[in-house]
Amino acid sequence: MPASDAPRRVRRWDPLVRLTHWGIVASVTVNALVTEEGSGPHQWVGYALAALLALRLLWGLVGTPEARFLAFPPSPARALAHIRDMRAGRQVDHASHNPLGALMVYAIWSCLAVIIASGLAMAPPFAAPKGEPASSGTHIESASVAIGGDENGEGGEHEEGVLTEVHEIAVNLLYLLIALHLAGVIFETRRSGPQVVRAMLPWRSPGRE
Amino acid sequence: MTIGPSRIRNGDGRAWAVAAILGLQSIAAAFFAADALADLSRDGLSAHMAVEAPVAFALLAGIVLGARHLRMMMTEARRRDEALAVASGALSDVIRLRFDAWGLTAAEADVALFALKGCDVGDITRLRHTAAGTVRAQLARAYAKAGVSSRAALTSLFIEDLLDAMPPPRTDSVAAHISGGGGDVTPPRGTGTPAVQTMPFSRNRR
Repeated sequence: MPASDAPRRVRRWDPLVRLTHWGIVASVTVNALVTEEGSGPHQWVGYALAALLALRLLWGLVGTPEARFLAFPPSPARALAHIRDMRAGRQVDHASHNPLGALMVYAIWSCLAVIIASGLAMAPPFAAPKGEPASSGTHIESASVAIGGDENGEGGEHEEGVLTEVHEIAVNLLYLLIALHLAGVIFETRRSGPQVVRAMLPWRSPGRE
Repeated sequence: MTIGPSRIRNGDGRAWAVAAILGLQSIAAAFFAADALADLSRDGLSAHMAVEAPVAFALLAGIVLGARHLRMMMTEARRRDEALAVASGALSDVIRLRFDAWGLTAAEADVALFALKGCDVGDITRLRHTAAGTVRAQLARAYAKAGVSSRAALTSLFIEDLLDAMPPPRTDSVAAHISGGGGDVTPPRGTGTPAVQTMPFSRNRR
Protein backbone atom coordinates (compact mmCIF):
# COMPACT_ATOMS: atom_id res chain seq x y z
CA MET A 1 0.00 0.00 0.00
CA PRO A 2 1.72 3.20 -1.04
CA ALA A 3 -0.25 5.19 1.49
CA SER A 4 1.20 3.26 4.42
CA ASP A 5 4.87 2.96 3.52
CA ALA A 6 5.36 6.26 1.73
CA PRO A 7 5.56 8.38 4.91
CA ARG A 8 8.15 6.05 6.40
CA ARG A 9 10.36 6.16 3.36
CA VAL A 10 10.28 9.85 2.69
CA ARG A 11 10.65 11.18 6.21
CA ARG A 12 14.01 12.71 6.99
CA TRP A 13 15.45 15.18 9.44
CA ASP A 14 15.52 18.75 8.25
CA PRO A 15 18.81 20.23 7.00
CA LEU A 16 19.57 22.12 10.18
CA VAL A 17 19.18 19.04 12.37
CA ARG A 18 21.45 17.05 10.06
CA LEU A 19 23.95 19.89 9.77
CA THR A 20 24.27 20.38 13.53
CA HIS A 21 24.36 16.62 14.13
CA TRP A 22 27.24 16.02 11.76
CA GLY A 23 28.95 19.27 12.75
CA ILE A 24 28.94 18.15 16.36
CA VAL A 25 30.15 14.69 15.31
CA ALA A 26 33.00 16.31 13.39
CA SER A 27 34.05 18.67 16.17
CA VAL A 28 33.89 15.96 18.85
CA THR A 29 35.93 13.64 16.64
CA VAL A 30 38.50 16.31 15.86
CA ASN A 31 38.89 17.30 19.50
CA ALA A 32 39.08 13.68 20.61
CA LEU A 33 41.58 12.47 18.04
CA VAL A 34 43.36 15.35 16.32
CA THR A 35 43.88 18.42 18.46
CA GLU A 36 46.08 18.47 21.49
CA GLU A 37 44.23 18.76 24.81
CA GLY A 38 44.00 22.35 25.96
CA SER A 39 45.72 23.66 22.83
CA GLY A 40 44.48 26.67 20.88
CA PRO A 41 42.90 24.63 18.07
CA HIS A 42 41.22 22.43 20.70
CA GLN A 43 39.58 25.52 22.17
CA TRP A 44 38.55 26.95 18.81
CA VAL A 45 36.92 23.67 17.83
CA GLY A 46 35.26 23.77 21.23
CA TYR A 47 33.79 27.19 20.40
CA ALA A 48 32.47 25.85 17.12
CA LEU A 49 30.93 22.92 18.98
CA ALA A 50 29.31 25.31 21.45
CA ALA A 51 27.93 27.38 18.57
CA LEU A 52 26.45 24.31 16.85
CA LEU A 53 24.89 23.05 20.07
CA ALA A 54 23.44 26.51 20.74
CA LEU A 55 22.03 26.61 17.21
CA ARG A 56 20.42 23.19 17.66
CA LEU A 57 18.90 24.29 20.97
CA LEU A 58 17.56 27.44 19.33
CA TRP A 59 16.10 25.21 16.61
CA GLY A 60 14.45 23.24 19.39
CA LEU A 61 12.46 26.38 20.17
CA VAL A 62 11.66 27.78 16.74
CA GLY A 63 12.40 24.89 14.37
CA THR A 64 10.36 22.42 12.39
CA PRO A 65 7.71 20.46 14.33
CA GLU A 66 9.83 17.30 14.66
CA ALA A 67 12.93 19.21 15.71
CA ARG A 68 11.24 21.06 18.56
CA PHE A 69 11.62 20.00 22.17
CA LEU A 70 7.85 19.59 22.39
CA ALA A 71 8.03 16.76 19.86
CA PHE A 72 10.33 14.68 22.07
CA PRO A 73 9.86 15.53 25.74
CA PRO A 74 12.22 13.72 28.14
CA SER A 75 9.71 11.32 29.63
CA PRO A 76 10.77 8.11 31.40
CA ALA A 77 7.14 6.94 31.34
CA ARG A 78 7.06 7.13 27.56
CA ALA A 79 10.45 5.45 27.36
CA LEU A 80 9.09 2.54 29.41
CA ALA A 81 6.03 2.36 27.18
CA HIS A 82 8.36 2.31 24.20
CA ILE A 83 10.33 -0.59 25.72
CA ARG A 84 7.06 -2.47 26.21
CA ASP A 85 6.22 -1.80 22.56
CA MET A 86 9.59 -3.15 21.49
CA ARG A 87 9.18 -6.26 23.62
CA ALA A 88 5.76 -6.91 22.17
CA GLY A 89 7.22 -6.45 18.71
CA ARG A 90 4.96 -3.50 18.02
CA GLN A 91 6.11 -0.96 15.47
CA VAL A 92 4.93 2.45 16.53
CA ASP A 93 5.72 5.33 14.25
CA HIS A 94 7.22 8.31 16.03
CA ALA A 95 7.20 11.66 14.28
CA SER A 96 10.37 12.75 16.08
CA HIS A 97 12.92 10.80 18.13
CA ASN A 98 11.45 7.70 19.72
CA PRO A 99 11.11 8.12 23.52
CA LEU A 100 14.30 6.20 24.26
CA GLY A 101 16.18 8.14 21.63
CA ALA A 102 14.84 11.36 23.14
CA LEU A 103 16.36 10.49 26.52
CA MET A 104 19.64 9.79 24.74
CA VAL A 105 19.50 13.13 22.96
CA TYR A 106 19.02 15.04 26.20
CA ALA A 107 21.75 13.01 27.90
CA ILE A 108 24.21 13.80 25.12
CA TRP A 109 23.27 17.49 25.07
CA SER A 110 23.67 17.80 28.83
CA CYS A 111 27.00 16.05 28.63
CA LEU A 112 28.14 18.37 25.84
CA ALA A 113 26.97 21.37 27.84
CA VAL A 114 29.06 20.27 30.84
CA ILE A 115 32.06 19.69 28.58
CA ILE A 116 31.68 23.10 26.96
CA ALA A 117 31.10 24.90 30.27
CA SER A 118 34.09 23.30 31.98
CA GLY A 119 36.22 23.92 28.90
CA LEU A 120 35.23 27.58 28.81
CA ALA A 121 35.89 27.93 32.53
CA MET A 122 39.35 26.44 32.15
CA ALA A 123 40.28 28.72 29.27
CA PRO A 124 37.92 31.72 29.31
CA PRO A 125 38.14 33.77 26.12
CA PHE A 126 38.92 36.93 28.10
CA ALA A 127 42.08 35.33 29.47
CA ALA A 128 43.46 35.28 25.95
CA PRO A 129 45.97 38.07 25.39
CA LYS A 130 45.05 39.91 22.21
CA GLY A 131 47.07 38.74 19.27
CA GLU A 132 47.89 35.24 20.48
CA PRO A 133 44.56 33.63 21.29
CA ALA A 134 45.74 30.31 19.92
CA SER A 135 48.02 29.60 22.84
CA SER A 136 46.02 30.88 25.80
CA GLY A 137 45.22 27.45 27.24
CA THR A 138 48.77 26.18 27.37
CA HIS A 139 49.89 29.52 28.76
CA ILE A 140 47.54 29.31 31.67
CA GLU A 141 48.43 25.75 32.42
CA SER A 142 52.18 26.20 32.22
CA ALA A 143 51.93 29.48 34.10
CA SER A 144 49.97 28.02 36.95
CA VAL A 145 52.29 25.05 37.12
CA ALA A 146 55.41 27.21 37.02
CA ILE A 147 54.32 29.71 39.64
CA GLY A 148 52.60 27.22 41.89
CA GLY A 149 53.67 29.02 45.05
CA ASP A 150 52.34 32.39 43.95
CA GLU A 151 49.75 34.28 45.97
CA ASN A 152 46.75 33.04 43.95
CA GLY A 153 48.49 30.05 42.42
CA GLU A 154 47.30 27.61 45.06
CA GLY A 155 43.57 28.27 44.71
CA GLY A 156 43.76 28.69 40.94
CA GLU A 157 45.54 25.41 40.49
CA HIS A 158 43.06 23.62 42.68
CA GLU A 159 40.15 25.04 40.71
CA GLU A 160 41.92 24.19 37.49
CA GLY A 161 42.35 20.62 38.69
CA VAL A 162 38.66 20.26 39.50
CA LEU A 163 37.64 21.70 36.14
CA THR A 164 40.02 19.39 34.32
CA GLU A 165 38.57 16.49 36.25
CA VAL A 166 35.00 17.50 35.40
CA HIS A 167 35.96 18.03 31.76
CA GLU A 168 37.56 14.60 31.49
CA ILE A 169 34.82 12.73 33.33
CA ALA A 170 32.18 14.38 31.15
CA VAL A 171 34.16 13.52 28.02
CA ASN A 172 34.43 9.87 29.05
CA LEU A 173 30.72 9.86 29.80
CA LEU A 174 30.16 11.32 26.34
CA TYR A 175 32.13 8.48 24.74
CA LEU A 176 29.93 6.03 26.63
CA LEU A 177 26.78 7.82 25.46
CA ILE A 178 28.05 7.86 21.88
CA ALA A 179 28.64 4.12 22.07
CA LEU A 180 25.13 3.62 23.44
CA HIS A 181 23.74 5.92 20.75
CA LEU A 182 25.43 3.91 18.01
CA ALA A 183 24.22 0.67 19.60
CA GLY A 184 20.71 2.08 19.69
CA VAL A 185 20.88 3.07 16.04
CA ILE A 186 22.14 -0.38 15.06
CA PHE A 187 19.44 -2.04 17.15
CA GLU A 188 16.72 0.15 15.67
CA THR A 189 18.02 -0.50 12.16
CA ARG A 190 17.78 -4.25 12.68
CA ARG A 191 14.36 -3.90 14.24
CA SER A 192 12.67 -1.57 11.79
CA GLY A 193 14.97 -1.05 8.82
CA PRO A 194 17.48 1.50 7.60
CA GLN A 195 15.05 4.41 7.81
CA VAL A 196 16.59 5.53 11.11
CA VAL A 197 19.98 5.99 9.48
CA ARG A 198 18.64 7.36 6.23
CA ALA A 199 16.76 10.10 8.03
CA MET A 200 20.03 11.56 9.31
CA LEU A 201 22.28 11.05 6.28
CA PRO A 202 23.45 14.37 4.88
CA TRP A 203 22.95 13.24 1.30
CA ARG A 204 19.96 11.97 -0.63
CA SER A 205 19.58 8.28 0.05
CA PRO A 206 18.71 5.78 -2.69
CA GLY A 207 15.54 4.88 -0.81
CA ARG A 208 13.91 8.00 -2.09
CA GLU A 209 12.87 8.43 -5.68
CA MET B 1 3.89 17.97 -13.45
CA THR B 2 7.41 18.08 -14.82
CA ILE B 3 8.33 21.19 -12.90
CA GLY B 4 7.19 19.64 -9.63
CA PRO B 5 10.18 17.49 -8.73
CA SER B 6 12.72 20.10 -9.73
CA ARG B 7 10.92 22.68 -7.64
CA ILE B 8 11.10 20.39 -4.65
CA ARG B 9 14.78 19.80 -5.22
CA ASN B 10 15.45 23.53 -5.48
CA GLY B 11 13.53 24.09 -2.27
CA ASP B 12 15.62 21.42 -0.60
CA GLY B 13 18.83 23.04 -1.84
CA ARG B 14 17.70 26.44 -0.60
CA ALA B 15 16.93 25.00 2.81
CA TRP B 16 20.39 23.45 2.90
CA ALA B 17 21.97 26.73 1.92
CA VAL B 18 20.12 28.63 4.64
CA ALA B 19 20.96 25.93 7.19
CA ALA B 20 24.63 26.04 6.23
CA ILE B 21 24.70 29.82 6.49
CA LEU B 22 23.02 29.59 9.88
CA GLY B 23 25.67 27.12 11.01
CA LEU B 24 28.45 29.43 9.85
CA GLN B 25 26.74 32.42 11.41
CA SER B 26 26.50 30.63 14.75
CA ILE B 27 30.16 29.68 14.70
CA ALA B 28 31.10 33.20 13.67
CA ALA B 29 28.94 34.60 16.46
CA ALA B 30 30.63 32.34 19.01
CA PHE B 31 34.08 33.43 17.88
CA PHE B 32 33.03 37.05 17.74
CA ALA B 33 31.56 36.89 21.22
CA ALA B 34 34.74 35.27 22.53
CA ASP B 35 36.80 37.97 20.88
CA ALA B 36 34.57 40.74 22.18
CA LEU B 37 34.80 39.32 25.70
CA ALA B 38 38.57 39.29 25.41
CA ASP B 39 38.49 42.95 24.32
CA LEU B 40 36.13 43.80 27.15
CA SER B 41 38.36 42.31 29.80
CA ARG B 42 41.44 43.98 28.31
CA ASP B 43 40.18 47.48 27.54
CA GLY B 44 36.99 47.70 29.59
CA LEU B 45 34.14 49.65 28.06
CA SER B 46 35.48 51.61 25.13
CA ALA B 47 34.43 53.03 21.81
CA HIS B 48 35.52 49.74 20.30
CA MET B 49 32.95 47.93 22.43
CA ALA B 50 30.27 50.41 21.39
CA VAL B 51 30.77 49.11 17.86
CA GLU B 52 31.18 45.46 18.74
CA ALA B 53 28.11 45.18 20.94
CA PRO B 54 25.64 46.11 18.18
CA VAL B 55 27.47 43.81 15.79
CA ALA B 56 27.15 40.94 18.26
CA PHE B 57 23.48 41.75 18.74
CA ALA B 58 22.93 41.88 14.98
CA LEU B 59 24.62 38.51 14.56
CA LEU B 60 22.43 36.90 17.20
CA ALA B 61 19.27 38.50 15.85
CA GLY B 62 20.25 37.36 12.38
CA ILE B 63 20.60 33.79 13.59
CA VAL B 64 17.23 33.79 15.32
CA LEU B 65 15.46 35.39 12.37
CA GLY B 66 17.29 33.10 9.96
CA ALA B 67 16.15 30.08 11.95
CA ARG B 68 12.55 31.26 11.86
CA HIS B 69 12.81 31.93 8.14
CA LEU B 70 14.22 28.45 7.58
CA ARG B 71 11.36 26.94 9.55
CA MET B 72 8.82 28.79 7.42
CA MET B 73 10.59 27.67 4.25
CA MET B 74 10.52 24.07 5.38
CA THR B 75 6.88 24.22 6.38
CA GLU B 76 6.03 25.65 2.99
CA ALA B 77 8.15 23.07 1.16
CA ARG B 78 6.53 20.26 3.11
CA ARG B 79 3.04 21.44 2.24
CA ARG B 80 4.02 21.69 -1.40
CA ASP B 81 5.49 18.21 -1.20
CA GLU B 82 2.28 16.80 0.14
CA ALA B 83 0.17 18.57 -2.43
CA LEU B 84 2.44 17.39 -5.23
CA ALA B 85 2.47 13.82 -3.99
CA VAL B 86 -1.31 13.80 -4.15
CA ALA B 87 -1.28 15.60 -7.46
CA SER B 88 1.25 13.40 -9.21
CA GLY B 89 1.21 9.86 -7.88
CA ALA B 90 -1.67 9.35 -5.54
CA LEU B 91 -4.26 11.11 -7.66
CA SER B 92 -4.11 8.41 -10.32
CA ASP B 93 -4.52 5.78 -7.58
CA VAL B 94 -7.47 7.66 -6.18
CA ILE B 95 -9.04 7.91 -9.61
CA ARG B 96 -8.57 4.22 -10.28
CA LEU B 97 -9.92 3.20 -6.88
CA ARG B 98 -12.93 5.46 -7.21
CA PHE B 99 -13.69 4.18 -10.70
CA ASP B 100 -13.59 0.65 -9.26
CA ALA B 101 -15.76 1.65 -6.34
CA TRP B 102 -18.34 3.21 -8.64
CA GLY B 103 -18.35 0.02 -10.69
CA LEU B 104 -17.41 1.64 -14.01
CA THR B 105 -16.84 -0.78 -16.87
CA ALA B 106 -13.50 -0.63 -18.65
CA ALA B 107 -14.98 1.43 -21.48
CA GLU B 108 -16.73 3.81 -19.11
CA ALA B 109 -13.55 4.22 -17.08
CA ASP B 110 -11.58 5.06 -20.22
CA VAL B 111 -14.12 7.59 -21.34
CA ALA B 112 -14.38 9.12 -17.87
CA LEU B 113 -10.60 9.41 -17.68
CA PHE B 114 -10.50 11.20 -21.03
CA ALA B 115 -13.24 13.47 -19.75
CA LEU B 116 -11.19 14.20 -16.62
CA LYS B 117 -8.24 15.06 -18.82
CA GLY B 118 -10.34 17.65 -20.57
CA CYS B 119 -11.28 15.89 -23.80
CA ASP B 120 -14.70 16.67 -25.19
CA VAL B 121 -17.00 14.12 -26.82
CA GLY B 122 -15.50 14.77 -30.24
CA ASP B 123 -11.95 14.13 -29.02
CA ILE B 124 -12.97 10.95 -27.23
CA THR B 125 -14.80 9.72 -30.30
CA ARG B 126 -11.65 10.14 -32.37
CA LEU B 127 -9.37 8.61 -29.74
CA ARG B 128 -11.55 5.57 -29.18
CA HIS B 129 -12.68 5.14 -32.79
CA THR B 130 -16.31 4.89 -31.77
CA ALA B 131 -19.48 6.75 -32.50
CA ALA B 132 -20.28 9.98 -30.71
CA GLY B 133 -23.54 8.48 -29.48
CA THR B 134 -21.72 5.61 -27.81
CA VAL B 135 -19.32 7.98 -26.07
CA ARG B 136 -22.18 10.16 -24.87
CA ALA B 137 -24.01 7.14 -23.50
CA GLN B 138 -20.89 5.84 -21.75
CA LEU B 139 -20.18 9.26 -20.28
CA ALA B 140 -23.74 9.58 -19.06
CA ARG B 141 -23.56 6.17 -17.38
CA ALA B 142 -20.21 7.05 -15.79
CA TYR B 143 -21.59 10.34 -14.44
CA ALA B 144 -24.66 8.56 -13.11
CA LYS B 145 -22.55 5.95 -11.30
CA ALA B 146 -20.37 8.70 -9.84
CA GLY B 147 -23.46 10.56 -8.73
CA VAL B 148 -22.65 13.72 -10.69
CA SER B 149 -24.27 15.44 -13.59
CA SER B 150 -21.38 17.10 -15.40
CA ARG B 151 -17.70 16.80 -16.13
CA ALA B 152 -16.94 19.76 -13.88
CA ALA B 153 -18.64 18.02 -10.96
CA LEU B 154 -16.75 14.80 -11.71
CA THR B 155 -13.44 16.70 -11.71
CA SER B 156 -14.30 18.46 -8.48
CA LEU B 157 -14.67 15.10 -6.73
CA PHE B 158 -10.91 14.66 -7.21
CA ILE B 159 -9.93 18.28 -6.78
CA GLU B 160 -11.42 18.02 -3.31
CA ASP B 161 -8.58 15.68 -2.34
CA LEU B 162 -5.98 18.11 -3.60
CA LEU B 163 -7.50 20.86 -1.51
CA ASP B 164 -7.12 18.72 1.61
CA ALA B 165 -3.48 19.76 1.82
CA MET B 166 -4.38 23.42 2.06
CA PRO B 167 -4.55 25.29 5.38
CA PRO B 168 -7.71 24.53 7.36
CA PRO B 169 -9.55 27.87 7.11
CA ARG B 170 -9.48 27.92 3.33
CA THR B 171 -10.19 24.20 3.09
CA ASP B 172 -13.26 24.71 5.22
CA SER B 173 -14.72 27.44 3.10
CA VAL B 174 -13.97 25.62 -0.16
CA ALA B 175 -15.19 22.27 1.13
CA ALA B 176 -18.38 23.85 2.42
CA HIS B 177 -18.91 25.46 -0.95
CA ILE B 178 -18.34 22.23 -2.85
CA SER B 179 -20.35 19.96 -0.59
CA GLY B 180 -23.15 22.49 -0.77
CA GLY B 181 -23.42 21.71 -4.49
CA GLY B 182 -22.49 18.04 -4.62
CA GLY B 183 -22.96 16.69 -1.12
CA ASP B 184 -26.44 15.38 -1.75
CA VAL B 185 -25.47 13.31 -4.76
CA THR B 186 -22.63 11.38 -3.19
CA PRO B 187 -24.11 8.25 -1.63
CA PRO B 188 -22.11 6.00 -4.00
CA ARG B 189 -18.93 7.52 -2.63
CA GLY B 190 -19.85 6.57 0.90
CA THR B 191 -19.77 2.89 -0.01
CA GLY B 192 -16.54 3.23 -1.90
CA THR B 193 -14.31 2.35 1.04
CA PRO B 194 -11.07 1.91 -0.95
CA ALA B 195 -11.26 5.46 -2.17
CA VAL B 196 -12.08 6.75 1.28
CA GLN B 197 -9.13 4.90 2.76
CA THR B 198 -6.68 6.65 0.52
CA MET B 199 -7.93 10.06 1.48
CA PRO B 200 -6.02 10.46 4.76
CA PHE B 201 -2.83 9.99 2.73
CA SER B 202 -1.82 13.60 2.96
CA ARG B 203 -2.69 13.84 6.64
CA ASN B 204 -0.66 10.74 7.53
CA ARG B 205 2.54 12.37 6.60
CA ARG B 206 2.92 15.01 9.19
